Amino acid sequence: MIRTAIVRGLLFGAVGLHLAVVGVLLMLHQRWIIIDTISLGQAVLVLLAIGAGVMAAPTNAPEAPPARLLFGLIAGAAASLPLAALMVAMDLVRLQAVFIALSHDLFEMLSFDLGDFLGVLALIGGGAVGGLAGAVLQHTPPGIRRAVIAGAAAVVVAGVFQELIQLMLQFEGLIGDIRDFFYTWEGLSPQGAAVVFAITAIVSQVRSAASRRNQAALTDQQRQRQRMIRALLCLAGLAVLPALAGSYIGQVLMLVGLFILMGMCLNLDVGLAGLLDLGFVAFFAVGAYATALLTADNPHALLHLSYWAAMPIAVLLSICMGVIFGIPVLGVRGDYLAVATMGLGEIVRVIVLSDFASPLLGGAQGLLQIPKPALGGFTLGSPVSLFYLTLVASGVAAFVAWRLENSRLGRAWMALRDDEDVAQALGINLIRSKLMAYGLGAAFAGLAGSIFAVMLGSVYPSSFQLLISINVLALIIVGGMGSLPGVALGSIALIGLPELLREFGEYRYLFYGAVLIIMMRLRPEGLWPSEARRRELHGSDESLALDAGSDLLPAQRT
Amino acid sequence: MALLEIDDIHVFYDNIQALKGISLDVEANRIVTLVGGNGAGKSTTLRAISGLLHPRQGAIRYDGRPLAGLGAHDIAAMGLVHVPEGRRIFGRLTVDENLLMGAFTRRDRKAIAEDKERMMTLFPRLRERLRQVAGTLSGGEQQMVATARAMMARPRLLLMDEPSMGLAPMVVEQVFETIQAINAQGVTILLVEQNALMALTIADQGYVLESGEIVLSGPGRDLIDDERVRQAYLG
Ligand SMILES: Nc1ncnc2c1ncn2[C@@H]1O[C@H](COP(=O)(O)OP(=O)(O)OP(=O)(O)O)[C@@H](O)[C@H]1O
Ligand SMILES: [Mg+2]
Repeated sequence: MIRTAIVRGLLFGAVGLHLAVVGVLLMLHQRWIIIDTISLGQAVLVLLAIGAGVMAAPTNAPEAPPARLLFGLIAGAAASLPLAALMVAMDLVRLQAVFIALSHDLFEMLSFDLGDFLGVLALIGGGAVGGLAGAVLQHTPPGIRRAVIAGAAAVVVAGVFQELIQLMLQFEGLIGDIRDFFYTWEGLSPQGAAVVFAITAIVSQVRSAASRRNQAALTDQQRQRQRMIRALLCLAGLAVLPALAGSYIGQVLMLVGLFILMGMCLNLDVGLAGLLDLGFVAFFAVGAYATALLTADNPHALLHLSYWAAMPIAVLLSICMGVIFGIPVLGVRGDYLAVATMGLGEIVRVIVLSDFASPLLGGAQGLLQIPKPALGGFTLGSPVSLFYLTLVASGVAAFVAWRLENSRLGRAWMALRDDEDVAQALGINLIRSKLMAYGLGAAFAGLAGSIFAVMLGSVYPSSFQLLISINVLALIIVGGMGSLPGVALGSIALIGLPELLREFGEYRYLFYGAVLIIMMRLRPEGLWPSEARRRELHGSDESLALDAGSDLLPAQRT
Repeated sequence: MALLEIDDIHVFYDNIQALKGISLDVEANRIVTLVGGNGAGKSTTLRAISGLLHPRQGAIRYDGRPLAGLGAHDIAAMGLVHVPEGRRIFGRLTVDENLLMGAFTRRDRKAIAEDKERMMTLFPRLRERLRQVAGTLSGGEQQMVATARAMMARPRLLLMDEPSMGLAPMVVEQVFETIQAINAQGVTILLVEQNALMALTIADQGYVLESGEIVLSGPGRDLIDDERVRQAYLG
């Protein structure tokens, strides 16, 4: 058992080592959670130790609880061993020549500025304490555990996003005083952190007690209404946030809104119809270029329509493209479809860049000077107003998707998704249904592209990489396939957060990969799954639900 | 004139010829069965009839109308419904949704609700499991869903491909009773079965298929007594 504890600890340690070597750790160290007390990088180390402790001290282990706590302690210490070894190695050899990230700053971070020997001891000791904490956490009642986790998460959010939160609290008087209690100019103050922790923990405790009492008495219908209300509240929050926040948040939200819209339409294709369409960016490009050609103030433009006249034309063109693209891949299923559509997506970009189309479409220089849309006398120029435009468009898309789900066409898609032959034998027109799916998906992609064009004021072929399709796919997987609120959540998590934490930029796709893997392990149905999807993945199969980890801290079998 | 007439069809999978000129008739309101060994071409015949495959040569007429050139969904809309082999239900939809999919071509909501009720009486097991995801049903229950779903289309002609496959002997008997009950409601049935004895017992007319060709045909009873059939299929 000690061996498993050590192995698990070392595994977590290896993750820490990896983060240190690629430079993520030091980067995270630059951001305080609690000012002058704990940084995000240190928090990651603590989290690794805690995780090792949790994994090494399962609640169903044969040993008595005190022994399990010891395992946690050992695993935590083991989790810091690889980094301690790294410190010793850094002390002996100049490793920075090989790994640029292994700088003196990293050494100072790992040693807590205590020098070589004490630093190593402090690191291992800290790891042991973290591991012990993890083991203890594992053995506390779930209610308290949940409260602690919620409190800690709230502190992290309050600390990491201090800049944004402070921005929103730029008032004099009472609000200003409250702000000054929680925040110094540079970050979350220790007393503020303590209060945030306490409040969140208590609230989560009270809420879970209340909801446990209620849940049993709720009917299906009431539960559904609760979900509706929660979704509407989130939407309302999303709608008023930019008005409160500055233009920087507006900018980020504008991007988030755009990806929500794209997520909505890919959701139709993938979630409902089961068509894994990676050529989606092509229609996005068609919408953008059509808008540019119809409205721009440059020599390439064909017409100078107003945005509101150009947008429907752009959408119509996208639909045509969707149907034309759909025909050759009608008979292609599953994985092959993903590959085929991926190729189609690239074709559009290559065509724009080709010598043949360059004179018409501006080639690599793109099309510039696309005017902002005007509504009456008001120009939708600011990011915030454009965000609202995406929100309205997303609303339309959401409405269409919601109506479709319970329509004949929606049911036909779901049937085709599960079994094409049987669906046809029951009277479903395969060709028409599939082309409708491609056309509709393309329509919203074109709409998104059209908004994208006015957002940037210019379009370039380099904006329409395959990566966009993949980002959109990733966000609907993380959010929850087939779920509309899930799309919003996924877009905030995958598009919004990396924009807010700018220093992550470099490592963006590293985190994407990690998040996707973790999601698939712990919560394959996504952050906010649709009812049907939850059913599919958890359904009546208890063992599967356990396996997928319905709890944050799954009890691991040894 | 028979409800379904098949006239010398040849069906290919790429270059492999699966059916080498098959002709058979299905009279209205009868149970007709098609028996034969593995790979004889029974499923292929049904797929050709329902439009999932297209014969390279020969003709299929349903109710006097040639089916050539029609898509599977058009044929289904004419009341010719296929229950494919291997319990192919929509695994991610609930039982209820599966049944509704069966009535996809119909628009008479009230009658659909009535038919669903009839299916519940025919298969009481399904009533308790209406909200369950069909993929989690037991094999026999899935077969019930597949049959009930096909019935929801109010078919005139039902093509059933091995409805008893993999079921317990007790349940197999129930399946055959159900088939007769469905037939008694005026539905013509073309039944493909490995269980030749049972199938021939309830069938008015039987065809024996071997390597893509029909080698014997006649009333079900006569085929059971036939020496060659006895040796090959009834052991
Ligand atoms: N999709 C396919 N591609 C190529 N060959 C096929 C295909 N489907 C069936 N075949 C071949 O066609 C022949 C007839 O197959 P069919 O499925 O009609 O047999 P069957 O009589 O239904 O057999 P079983 O009782 O085992 O279901 C077989 O030799 C089979 O290998
Ligand atoms: Mg077969």
